[in-house]
Amino acid sequence: MMAVVFLAQVLSAAAPLVLASLGGVLSERSGVTMLALEAYLLLGAFAAVVAGLASGSIVVAVLAAALAGALAGALFALFAVWQRASSVVVGVALNLLAMAGTRAALKVLYGSSSNSPTLPTSEGMRGSALAWTALRDALSTPTVWIAPLLVALSALLLSRTVLGLRITACGEHPMAARAQGVPVARVQTTALVLGGAIAALGGAQLGLHQHAFVASMSGGRGFLAVAAVILGRWRPVRAAVWAAAIGSLSALEATLASGGWVPTVVLQALPFALTLLAVAGRSGKARAPAALG
Amino acid sequence: MSRPRALVVVAAAAAVLTAMNLSVWLAGASPRRVLALMLAGTLGSSYGFAQSLAKATPLLWTGASVALALRARLFNVGAEGQCLAGVLASAVVGAALPASTPWALAIPCCLAAAAAGGAALGAVAGWLRGRFGTNEVLSTLMLNGLMAVVVTWLYGGALRDGAQVHTRDVVAGARLPMAGAALRAFRGSGLNASFALGLVALAALAWYLERTRGGLRIRALGSSSGTASALGIDPSRTTVRAMALSGALAGLAASHFVLGVKGYAEHGLGAGVGFTGIAVALLGGGRPWGIALAALLFGVLAQGSLAVNAVVPSDALVVVQAATLVAVAVVGAGRAVTR
Repeated sequence: MMAVVFLAQVLSAAAPLVLASLGGVLSERSGVTMLALEAYLLLGAFAAVVAGLASGSIVVAVLAAALAGALAGALFALFAVWQRASSVVVGVALNLLAMAGTRAALKVLYGSSSNSPTLPTSEGMRGSALAWTALRDALSTPTVWIAPLLVALSALLLSRTVLGLRITACGEHPMAARAQGVPVARVQTTALVLGGAIAALGGAQLGLHQHAFVASMSGGRGFLAVAAVILGRWRPVRAAVWAAAIGSLSALEATLASGGWVPTVVLQALPFALTLLAVAGRSGKARAPAALG
Repeated sequence: MSRPRALVVVAAAAAVLTAMNLSVWLAGASPRRVLALMLAGTLGSSYGFAQSLAKATPLLWTGASVALALRARLFNVGAEGQCLAGVLASAVVGAALPASTPWALAIPCCLAAAAAGGAALGAVAGWLRGRFGTNEVLSTLMLNGLMAVVVTWLYGGALRDGAQVHTRDVVAGARLPMAGAALRAFRGSGLNASFALGLVALAALAWYLERTRGGLRIRALGSSSGTASALGIDPSRTTVRAMALSGALAGLAASHFVLGVKGYAEHGLGAGVGFTGIAVALLGGGRPWGIALAALLFGVLAQGSLAVNAVVPSDALVVVQAATLVAVAVVGAGRAVTR
């Protein structure tokens, strides 16, 4: 039973990181440094919960998250690609904007700057201790299914389609790409919009899983996803595997904390500490897209 | 491809103002009223002015921190965590000193602790960069997350002062003088000697970078790899040094919080000043007076957003900070702001 609960928690905890890191891979493969994954997660979670509360439909909630992420990606492209601002700075600014903006919007919409009202749950399963119910609950969130699907699709997109090859070309040698007639800025914008939408789906998973939006609920997962991108050497499947591994650590945290065997602080610090070690250990071998900047 | 710079600056300023008015309007308030309230609450009264300077104080330190690292072409996104480390270290040392410690001993001890705490965190990122080539943006982000978890745990448990949700008070000798004690008009504000120390640090930083050997090494590291090796500079060691110094400056922001305003450390104290410090450093263009002015601007903004909190959620005005950051990056596009 313990194993089933754990599996449910792994699925729920890994999906946001997997989706965010996929968004990061797509963006960075086009040659744009992407630190705004934290912002995408927050905006996605916020949009999903607001749309879910307004419509009562989980499909609308997921679509709203994707739309919010796509818009944020377009905004990123406007400044980082079309205005040629430093993408690191734009990323930091977008994170700031999302963190404060969602809090302010929460206050304006629901009168509280800490959390939204809770989403109605489908069958009143919430809080149930039954293991199989926990698993069913996890699997009833569509983003858990969407995540592995998008991993496969992104891998195919990047390796098998014209758009994917163009994205890679822009990331490796934009001059050569331009000489070949590739509209570099437009391709990068497409990659950023797509990446934003996918990463924001990870946010939808956060919001739908907790049945509410809580201020700063991304809790650094966007930064862990950035690390997963690098650990996965900018390849969708490998990045997703790393993201899932880091996500399982948080699931471990939830499982072990309820048992009270290990101090919570160790478990909370573990993803950051291990990611730092892993990045240090592998950074010599990492090869970033040549024109990443 | 160069663009007419003045035009871009004007457009950027207009965009920031638009972002501000838009966010105020979206929050359901009148932009004109909010602006009037902001001005009255900041530059319109001596208390508001002192509070604005107080809000600017930690930004002097973190702005200097980020600017120093940028000179070595290192992007220190970790001033956030380094400040938390400084807060932790100075609060622990300040509370551990004997109660009768004179200020001439207590204050330097606490400042050294704050600097050491930040420097330690910065040095880790510098070492990882020098030894393994780990990107410092990534490592400092991870260290931020790590630090936030650790201090939250410590302040809620081991370092908790009985029923209080903060650490034990630092000894009386370790407290920096408050401006309100000397000037009646500033009474009740959080402005303290850390502001003056921050200005001195900015001047000292400029002197260090331009006039000393250590500063030359850091600038050489930032200019190009060719310069550094021509001067016989060890890039790994210089990277560690630059990141440690940058971390020390960020850690010293704790002097405003722990030794100035609060007298203790608590959860959330010092949060946010690291990221705003990036905006301050970029807006300040790496010059000491530029950083001071930029810190002041963001101080006014921070205090102003509190002054209008009853009408607009203060978070809505962080949008202005983000917009300024992007505007600065757009204006500076083409110049190598980061790498």
